Amino acid sequence: MRRWEELRSEFEGRGIQVVTVSTDLPEEIRDQRQHHGLQAIMLSDRDLAVTDAFGLRNQGAHSGPPSGAEALPVPTTLLIDRDGKVLWLEHSENYQKRSGPEFVLAAIETHLN
Amino acid sequence: MSTEETTATDARKPKPGTALGLLALGIAAATLSVWVLLIRRVAIPENRGIFLFLCGLTAALAVGAFVRRTRWYGGIAAVLALAGSALFSFTVAISGQEVAPNSIQVGETIPQFTALIEDGDTFDSTSLRGQLVLLKFFRAHW
Repeated sequence: MRRWEELRSEFEGRGIQVVTVSTDLPEEIRDQRQHHGLQAIMLSDRDLAVTDAFGLRNQGAHSGPPSGAEALPVPTTLLIDRDGKVLWLEHSENYQKRSGPEFVLAAIETHLN
Repeated sequence: MSTEETTATDARKPKPGTALGLLALGIAAATLSVWVLLIRRVAIPENRGIFLFLCGLTAALAVGAFVRRTRWYGGIAAVLALAGSALFSFTVAISGQEVAPNSIQVGETIPQFTALIEDGDTFDSTSLRGQLVLLKFFRAHW
């Protein structure tokens, strides 16, 4: 998340609003924001309603850490245009290499120009 | 030779499998610990080969322990190591990331949604209209 923060000006400069979704509770998100000083809109999706609306609940078995949620989303990044249409998306197969900011920035360059 | 004598001889015989059984359990425990540690950091390694290799090694050592004969505690260790490595291999093999067939695709319009933000207020996705948005689903914020 910190690496994303470093690129905030890049996103802001392009008029891109960053929105994050996780199963963390609102108070957990608040703590993280205080800790990291993140500026994105950070949404709590403990009941996976948003995740399911996008069909992004992980259907595969996962050996993830115990969390309060009954399942987890497949880590996904979406670039959405002004009309709400998906311009680009990427599912991360790998937990560690969640699409890096540079990679996403490159995709933005490609799709917005 | 009476039964008692046989047992007594057995007890004195060196049982080299014991060390193998304990070693197997040690490797199994270490492998599982590293895996759990990585998972807690939400950093499952891309290359899982080394973990599966260690599981295979554990299983081989455990079987070897029985072949070479082992004392009771070596036997228990070997059984635990076998069970642990089998369970672990299974978990590693089936774990994966897979979205539903109806998951959102490029070109589709995102669904309208609401969600809680950190101060307990509700966020409505309609407020994003007219903006370029980078939407990220995380396994966890941290």
